[in-house]
Amino acid sequence: MRVLIVEDDPMIGEAVQVALKNASYAADWVKDGPTALDAVNSQNYDLILLDLGLPGKDGLDVLTRIRAKGNSVSLLIITARDGLDDRVRGLDGGADDYVLKPFEIAELLARMRAVLRRKSGKALPVLSNGMVSLDPATRQATMNHGSPVQLSNREFALFQALMVRPGAILSRSELEDRVYGWGEEVESNAVEFLIHSLRRKLSGDVIRNVRGAGWMVSKTS
Amino acid sequence: MDGFKNFLNESLQRKLSVTLSLAILGVALVAGIFSFLSAFNEAYELQDDVLRQVAALMDRQHLAPDVLAGRGSREGNEESRVIVQRLGDARQAPLGVDDGGRLPLPKSLPNGLQTLRAAGETFRVLVRTTATGEQIAVAQETGFRNQIARASALRTVTPFLVLVPILLIIIPDLVRKMFRRVALLAREIDDRTEHGLHPLEENHIPAEVRPFVAAINRLLARVARSMDAQRRFVADAAHELRTPLTALSLQAELVSEAEMSDAARERLGVLRTGIERGRHLLNQLLTFARTQSVVETPKSPVSVQAVYRRVLEDLLPLAAAKRIDIGVEGQQDASVWVSEMDLTTVIRNLVDNAIRYTPDGGRVDLAVSTIGDTIVLTVKDTGPGIPEAEYDRVFDPFYRSLGGDRVGSGLGLSIVKAISDRIGAEVRLAPSIADAQSGLCVSVLIPMRRVLPGMEGAGSDSVHCQQAPGTRS
Repeated sequence: MRVLIVEDDPMIGEAVQVALKNASYAADWVKDGPTALDAVNSQNYDLILLDLGLPGKDGLDVLTRIRAKGNSVSLLIITARDGLDDRVRGLDGGADDYVLKPFEIAELLARMRAVLRRKSGKALPVLSNGMVSLDPATRQATMNHGSPVQLSNREFALFQALMVRPGAILSRSELEDRVYGWGEEVESNAVEFLIHSLRRKLSGDVIRNVRGAGWMVSKTS
Repeated sequence: MDGFKNFLNESLQRKLSVTLSLAILGVALVAGIFSFLSAFNEAYELQDDVLRQVAALMDRQHLAPDVLAGRGSREGNEESRVIVQRLGDARQAPLGVDDGGRLPLPKSLPNGLQTLRAAGETFRVLVRTTATGEQIAVAQETGFRNQIARASALRTVTPFLVLVPILLIIIPDLVRKMFRRVALLAREIDDRTEHGLHPLEENHIPAEVRPFVAAINRLLARVARSMDAQRRFVADAAHELRTPLTALSLQAELVSEAEMSDAARERLGVLRTGIERGRHLLNQLLTFARTQSVVETPKSPVSVQAVYRRVLEDLLPLAAAKRIDIGVEGQQDASVWVSEMDLTTVIRNLVDNAIRYTPDGGRVDLAVSTIGDTIVLTVKDTGPGIPEAEYDRVFDPFYRSLGGDRVGSGLGLSIVKAISDRIGAEVRLAPSIADAQSGLCVSVLIPMRRVLPGMEGAGSDSVHCQQAPGTRS
């Protein structure tokens, strides 16, 4: 995987380059817009990390130029501006995602992986939070180093709702909405019952209760 | 005297009322005197004419004054009597003057009108030489004439006497009405919050005041510009600081992957905590700068429970690291007309503070309730609390309680306060454990419908902050 880093700050550029190399990417680093455009023209990249605040040529300008040539390379924007406008303009201009300064290497790598995954066209069907994975095709859940466990329809519906966004807290009524269809009568304590059986099948700490707020699966990166 | 001058100079309205009243009084006085005198003179001349006509009548008809004397004069007022007599007739009258007798006049007088004293009274006398060559005198008492003239003069002055007091009552009222627009303008400026820097309406302002309003508007514009520049500077500075801070934290992250001794790793941990602090402070600065600029109008109500869940999602790791039992009390939800970002920022800062200041193993509770027309959001912790004397000051940016060794940006409560003021909510502080005077319970009182800032919420302090269940372990 070849990555182009467009970043004018030497310390950030160097740190990101080292980190990407440590993560087995081939990383090139340029410091301004015109050089970045030259590099894109002469070399095939899998992903571009583009800082918006560049000297000389604005990052958004570089982005439009790349896209104007029909180049559909994956592109992540790095910005210090958290104003909504900048992000929207970046995404509208053809960026695949953005990272807000200050960021951590782990977050950057995770976002890069997500963008590359989406670009490869293979929507990864298996949901995972690093501790447990869920395969919608077979409705099987698998703990790390464990064997697949078959889930009932309702267990699967509830678990899937939680696994779509690890770390998000879902309230009882939100979970009931996912488990029961329109017009179906909701049994009292159904959510507790399903969670109890999921915990028994998988592990006690796979689903966390947040007192008074709801339930979540932890976000392990 | 000086006191009165000051009293006048302080208020244009008073000055105008008093000067206008004085001017009217002066003019009325002069006009009154003038019309009194002219009416008086006219009445006088009218009576002189009567004397002349009587004399002419006597002359033409060749009437002897004796014919008239003592006849018919008894009727009516003896003072209004016109006396006619021949001059030089020295016969002493049998009767006094008042009873219709003759006047003791000198034997000869020049022809024409004159005022004489006779028999102890003043008379107006017309002397005329008749065709027969004798002199006759036609006389009338001046006292009576004056009385008539005065009465008729007073009648002409009466309207002035009645109308001037009415005018004096009307004038201050009129002046007050004229100045009402100015008073309204002042009230409008008074009612503004510090964010209300839009220009004043100039269209319906009197021309005399308009230059002031225009000047105030120019000043407002300058203040707005400078405040804007200041806000932009804070935001820009925070943005600019983000880049070096990112560089710093990335380098520290790389260093942590290298081989190093335990002591070095420990120091690196401290260093990264420091960088994290800087990052937190920067984000808080940016949030604070943002709370003071744009006012977002919510398009739909926000569920408080949903915001609680979102905040808990973000802050659970922080709470878990300190083994703090954090959660929501009660099932009740409420919808508030506040932008989601504002509400999330308020709750996040309150919960973040609660977690920071609560010792390991403590407890943080979130709750929402509706009391009357007010939605009450509470965040309770089992930390040390804030001394009541400092309640007012903890909202100041960068204010820190004495003896606090905690790490925070010093902006959390300022952000909460700034947003609350903007959305018309009220923030109240109380100890969460009343007996021990410890722990902090922060209530945010949000009116159900959006009302102007300054409207008072309902309820009393103690309603929302019941004693926290004793779960300190």
